[in-house]
Amino acid sequence: MPLAWLGVFFVAPIAIVAAYSFDVFTLFPGPHGFTISGWRSVVDNHVYLRLFWKSVEMSLIVSVLIVLLAYPVAYYLALSGTKRKYILLLLLIAPFLTSYLLRVLAWKVILGSQGVVNTFLFWTGIRSPDDPVTQLLYSRFAVILVLGYIWLPFVALPIFVSLESLDRRLLEAASDLGASRLRSFWAITLPLSLPGVVAAFFFVFVPTLGEFVTPSLVGGASGYMYGNQIVDLFGAGFPDWETGSVLALFLIGVVVVLTVVFSRFLQPQQVAAD
Amino acid sequence: MGSDREEAERRFDRQTALKLAAAVGGAGLVAGRTGIAGAVRTFATAETGRLQVLDWAGYGNDGGQSMFAQYVKQHPANKPQFTYMTNESDALAKIHAGLKPDVFRPYVGWVKYFAQSGLVQPWNTASIPNLKHLNPFMLKAGRYNGKQYGIPADWGFDAILYRSDKVKPQAKSWSLIFDDRYKGKIAWFDDLNMLTLAGLYLGFRDPWNQSDAQLAQSQKLLSAKKKNVRLIWSSETNLWEAFGSGDVWIAYAWPNDWVQMKKKKLPVVYMRPKEKPIAWVGMLMLLAGSPRPQLAHDYVNAWSSTASAKWLEDNYGYGHANTLARPASSDLLTALQLTNPKAVTEPNAHLDRDIPRRAVYARNWEEVKAA
Repeated sequence: MPLAWLGVFFVAPIAIVAAYSFDVFTLFPGPHGFTISGWRSVVDNHVYLRLFWKSVEMSLIVSVLIVLLAYPVAYYLALSGTKRKYILLLLLIAPFLTSYLLRVLAWKVILGSQGVVNTFLFWTGIRSPDDPVTQLLYSRFAVILVLGYIWLPFVALPIFVSLESLDRRLLEAASDLGASRLRSFWAITLPLSLPGVVAAFFFVFVPTLGEFVTPSLVGGASGYMYGNQIVDLFGAGFPDWETGSVLALFLIGVVVVLTVVFSRFLQPQQVAAD
Repeated sequence: MGSDREEAERRFDRQTALKLAAAVGGAGLVAGRTGIAGAVRTFATAETGRLQVLDWAGYGNDGGQSMFAQYVKQHPANKPQFTYMTNESDALAKIHAGLKPDVFRPYVGWVKYFAQSGLVQPWNTASIPNLKHLNPFMLKAGRYNGKQYGIPADWGFDAILYRSDKVKPQAKSWSLIFDDRYKGKIAWFDDLNMLTLAGLYLGFRDPWNQSDAQLAQSQKLLSAKKKNVRLIWSSETNLWEAFGSGDVWIAYAWPNDWVQMKKKKLPVVYMRPKEKPIAWVGMLMLLAGSPRPQLAHDYVNAWSSTASAKWLEDNYGYGHANTLARPASSDLLTALQLTNPKAVTEPNAHLDRDIPRRAVYARNWEEVKAA
């Protein structure tokens, strides 16, 4: 049953997209036949590959930054012994009860030329109203900031879970043997929570790499990402499902390879944890 | 829900048929042969199922009801059912994927493409009484091979909107949307039309049908100047937000955007570039094989009425092909030159037209965005 599910809702759609990419399957009439021209044009045309690297770079920045930010939060919640940890966790997740779109759009109000941040700067006299900070909205910065905000809880939760399940006796033993708190963090806590950290990193990196909603709302011309290109090839200008499919498959391919590499990297850690 | 509705329609159809049958019988007694013939004709042309319309958001039951109020009055039992399109490319994909609308509304540059594709059929102009009020230049643009494939509806210009307190243009030219002095304050429109415009600015003879070398030059210009662009808008609300908040000072815009920004009390100018603006016109098209052609004609006739046209101008700020309609706003009247039927065409503006190599243009434009 699970295999059938996977076949129908995962393998079959990808196979259809692959058929589109080779032009053997198409919605539009006209002469069609097996061709690798879509693939060739993407490989030869460095514009798409450069855009892909730009998106990788942006997703990496988002993922690394929020893992670094979320770790102390998760650490505090899991290990400080506070009784209110689940309430605090709930507070962390609370904004996520509202719509994704609404949360993205709210940032426009904060970041715009007449937004909260700029108005504050005008009020303090740091910037003149004629010279607002314009890089806050419709920029790469805006996309990175908003994506980071959106995905933060998804990062904090796996790290929290891995820290929660940490065997406290190991920390006690380290302390009995005279290890400093920093030493026991480096030798015990961090390595044992690493699978959670890597999982968290992936939770963010994979979806943000193909992200298109946030960049289309706050990214402007410079925050345009690979995902936007796929959407536009399928639906704007003139339908180019062939190139769109090639780009989509390339993205899936990269994600699969990365997943395999990282899961191998995770194995020894898990053995060590056992 | 859907099947309940269909069931209700079927029931209604049966009732109508019974009534018609009764009427035919009654008419036979009273009016004799001609009465019967008339009733039979009515029965024979009665089309079943709801009229299917594929249109842009804002033109269906989501606020655009006034555009087809006359149709609903005429056919209270057959209200149109809507599916929405985000652009012509999306409509094309939906139709090829099996959607069967009776009517849809691409823009003038697509008339030839759809007429040649065999997906649409010409209108019977005699069945659209309001046609006589429509702008003859726009009607001409809706014809292909002498047949009326497109019935013109909404229209407007592509030109430049700018903040007069912040921007001092060096010339009345499309060059303003490339101007390095206003880096980070410029908005372009997300459409392959940007290449046409670049060609127009570069002085090519036929910007709609550029050679490979010309297209490369247009693409190079856009790619080089993209660094000045803050936003490439695809929805007007997006533009209004950015322009209204001062994030953008110069925009590729439509006349209604000018009206909207004036309403916000912003000092704005709607510039007519010396290379001339491009005029666009929405064209209602009838799908080939539509099982409801008569209803479709009535629907389009409603859209073409002066009342609908005025409503469109007053509420959406676009022009309408109906030359009798006059908007309440004198700003819009001026911007669209509504008293001049030739406003959309030479020597006043370039009426948008078919792009023979649309797929190539589209790819070039996508590359500009990706660059």
